[in-house]
Amino acid sequence: MPAFAGLRRRVEGWARPRRPDVLPARLDRRRIYILPTGFGAFVTALLATMAIGALNYNNNPALLLCLLLVGAALASLLWTQLQLSGLEVRAVHGEPVAAGLPMPLHVHVEAAPGRERRGLRVAIGDSAALLSLGDSGGEATVALPTVRRGWLTAPRLRISTTRPLGLARAWSWVWPTARFLVYPTPEASGPPLPDGGGDEAQARLNPSGEELHHLRDWRPGDAPRTIAWKASARRDALIVREFERPQGDDLTLDWQRLGALDPESKIRRLARWVDEAERKAVRYRLQLPGQPVIGPDRGVAHRHACLRALALLPDAG
Amino acid sequence: MARTALALDTAGRRWSLIAAAVCLLPLLLQLPMPLPLVIAGAGAIAAAMASRRAAPGWLRTVLALAVFGFVFAQGGMSFGRDTGCALLAGMLAIKPSELRTVRDARSLLGFALFAPFATFLLDQGPLSLVLGLCGAVLVLAALARLSEQESGLPAATVRHAARIGIVVRLIAIGLPLTLAAFWLFPRLATPLWGIPDLSTARPGLSDEMSPGDWIDLIADDTPAMRVTFRGAEPSTREMYWRGPTLTDYDGRTWTASTWLRNLPPATVEHGAPTWDYEIALEPTERNLLVALEMPLEFPDGMRAAHEYTLTSTRRLDRVTRWQLRSAPPTRFEADLPDSLRRLALQLPADFNPRTRALAQQWRAETADDGALVDRALAWIRSDFAYTLDTPLPGRHAVDEFLFDYRAGFCEHFSSAFAVLMREAGIPTRVVTGYTGGTRNRFGNYWIVRRMDAHAWNEVWLEGRGWVRVDPTAAVAPERIYDTLEDRLGAGGGGGEALLPMADLGDWARRAWNDFVLGFDAARQQRMLQRIGFENIDTGGLAALFSLCAALALGWMLWLVARTERERDPLLRAWHRLGRRYARIGLARERHEPAIAWAERVRTARRHEAALVALTHRFVAARYAPSTSDTTLVRALRAHRPARETDR
Repeated sequence: MPAFAGLRRRVEGWARPRRPDVLPARLDRRRIYILPTGFGAFVTALLATMAIGALNYNNNPALLLCLLLVGAALASLLWTQLQLSGLEVRAVHGEPVAAGLPMPLHVHVEAAPGRERRGLRVAIGDSAALLSLGDSGGEATVALPTVRRGWLTAPRLRISTTRPLGLARAWSWVWPTARFLVYPTPEASGPPLPDGGGDEAQARLNPSGEELHHLRDWRPGDAPRTIAWKASARRDALIVREFERPQGDDLTLDWQRLGALDPESKIRRLARWVDEAERKAVRYRLQLPGQPVIGPDRGVAHRHACLRALALLPDAG
Repeated sequence: MARTALALDTAGRRWSLIAAAVCLLPLLLQLPMPLPLVIAGAGAIAAAMASRRAAPGWLRTVLALAVFGFVFAQGGMSFGRDTGCALLAGMLAIKPSELRTVRDARSLLGFALFAPFATFLLDQGPLSLVLGLCGAVLVLAALARLSEQESGLPAATVRHAARIGIVVRLIAIGLPLTLAAFWLFPRLATPLWGIPDLSTARPGLSDEMSPGDWIDLIADDTPAMRVTFRGAEPSTREMYWRGPTLTDYDGRTWTASTWLRNLPPATVEHGAPTWDYEIALEPTERNLLVALEMPLEFPDGMRAAHEYTLTSTRRLDRVTRWQLRSAPPTRFEADLPDSLRRLALQLPADFNPRTRALAQQWRAETADDGALVDRALAWIRSDFAYTLDTPLPGRHAVDEFLFDYRAGFCEHFSSAFAVLMREAGIPTRVVTGYTGGTRNRFGNYWIVRRMDAHAWNEVWLEGRGWVRVDPTAAVAPERIYDTLEDRLGAGGGGGEALLPMADLGDWARRAWNDFVLGFDAARQQRMLQRIGFENIDTGGLAALFSLCAALALGWMLWLVARTERERDPLLRAWHRLGRRYARIGLARERHEPAIAWAERVRTARRHEAALVALTHRFVAARYAPSTSDTTLVRALRAHRPARETDR
């Protein structure tokens, strides 16, 4: 079996495209491959038997039936190939997930109208998804396995179909140049979030800084009563008071204060704390070595910024 | 890859079962009666069994053994082509008992395709053909459903009609290739292996006859052959289609003499007129042929025995055609050697004493052979009747017929007449074949039906040789010469109104016979000669086939790929223009706007101002479709990259 897998890998190495290509990638006959399925081989043997029998007995209805089936089978091969031909992979987008979880990879495909293209399969390794194109194209979401944090370069996607008769499988490889972010895996269990006390102590050290966080620039839609007129007059710009404060004080998740853990464990702990802080709706800031402080803030974008910074920390080794 | 067994869904199961049932149907129609019911019942049980949960293995085995046992018991333990077909039908019927996965369904459908194939070995009639074609279409549609399921499409997303439509389109796309292969693929002139026999033969002309055994044949109105005359046509009274001539008699059965079979044909002097005709003979599973009395020559593949029993060198298991010329005989074997004369007078001892006494009495009263024959005919005409309702003969069959019930049909008349004549010392034999025929008003040809089978006699008279005598015609000429039309007309009712329809149907059937059923190596050669390929050999034929197949494949490609063509003629012309520049290395990049590209081309090459102007017009037309630029498409088509003239 390993020998077979090696051979398979080598054959796949020959298949086009041999290097990643910029999207949109159009599938044409040069990169669509087609081979009979096991069932196709069975049907071939069956039709050959029928043809020999019919020719031998000079039984014309049987021969005609056999040839009709041969014609339909050949036409179905063309049909299969043309299901893929002309497809255009417009975009591939992966939603960031923690390493180890499958990443939902959205593959957006378009094609010129005029041909029904349904029941295509988009596959990465063992995971596959159905792709059916409407007038405005179609999208398939494939699960991409992730192993480690950081950038994951896009793998080769296989778009294949066996329709309409299942006699042959046509497939084509798409190898986009995109890369997808994989967040670090949060640790399964560990110490809780650093308690507010520590943060308060730190906050008292810098009281002016805290006041600034309560004010922010005016944005259209802010109620007039929230405007801090004094501060606005001083700044010569409208400043509003931020009333919507989280309960408790801001958290600081600081790399330096994690002690003597190894770097990967620190990353995983911080990743867990980020998620936990989000869950508790606490504002938090993330302090990583050699990087500006991120936050304090909360919300999807902030979480993404923090986890991205964690994911992209250089490897310890 | 999902290599694990994918369970079959309801729609896939339904489609597979329907397709298999329709494939099985024409085969069941060809099997003798109790078998189809048993097989269909077994199929229903098998399908019902597997619809809930997997049938246990022992139950499937029991079912299979029961069906196979029944088939063999029906076939009388002899294995023929029909037994094989019945076994196939049985296997196919119990196959659904293990219909659980997509893979099972696919193997069921694959085997189901053999059912129409097997049907065609037994019968090539229109019903079988239509049902077989329906079966094949349904099998392909079922395969389409299985493939949809495999791709993950729910059944509701594709309508049944759309699925059938896809299959019909596939067949239509493949049709040119199919027809090219059918008519041009090199045919085997001689088979690699023979077609297995049927275990039970259908009644028909054979080289033996015992009175009473044709009762089924005389009720069978299916065509035996179709005859096209070129030039003169004989009247129906002259249409004696001569088949096997029977000389040996054992008191019950007339058989063809094996000795005469190996002698050269007897000498015949022919009279006028000469009839030139072609016989298209329906398959009989035997190799006996017929010809109008008396054939002038024998085409390739036809052999004549001494008494003009015609045989084919190959068994007639499909439609065959024979080009023949015949003329009525004036003298047929005028010199009869003694040995042959003794053969034609031979009778078993101790049979039919009353006939012998009558013959001896007549012989004493009438010296002349011809007068004796006339006397016998006169007697038959006055004292005998025609009936299909005859008792089983006893030991002295001829005595019983001549003196007791005095009614029967052609077999009885010819047999009794021959015995009577032989007892009187006149060499006589029985000739079987067909008489008459029905003219088809659409196709200008004659149909001879199996019910036209007939038996008559030949007596040998000094100076004239063998002379045809038809004792049945003396009794009931209308039974012999009248056409089907007359009989229906006499019966009254709505028969007449249906006749044109029946004629039209038979005419269509003959065309089908001509171009499909009877097509073989010889006819292929003739067809090619007609379109100008004289004496083409197998290699040439293969080359011609390859050429046509390539053309057909090209057509398929074009037809399937056609939908991809850009529909807007403006864009099409623009793309074609782009390809011209791509050939000289100035392809437009994907991200490049049209005008930017034209400007780039102009900086790269001289004399491309026209392209820039054209591009501006194109862009304007694309963004303002209301003011249509009618000459633009033509201008785009005509534009070519400018020549580099400064070298």
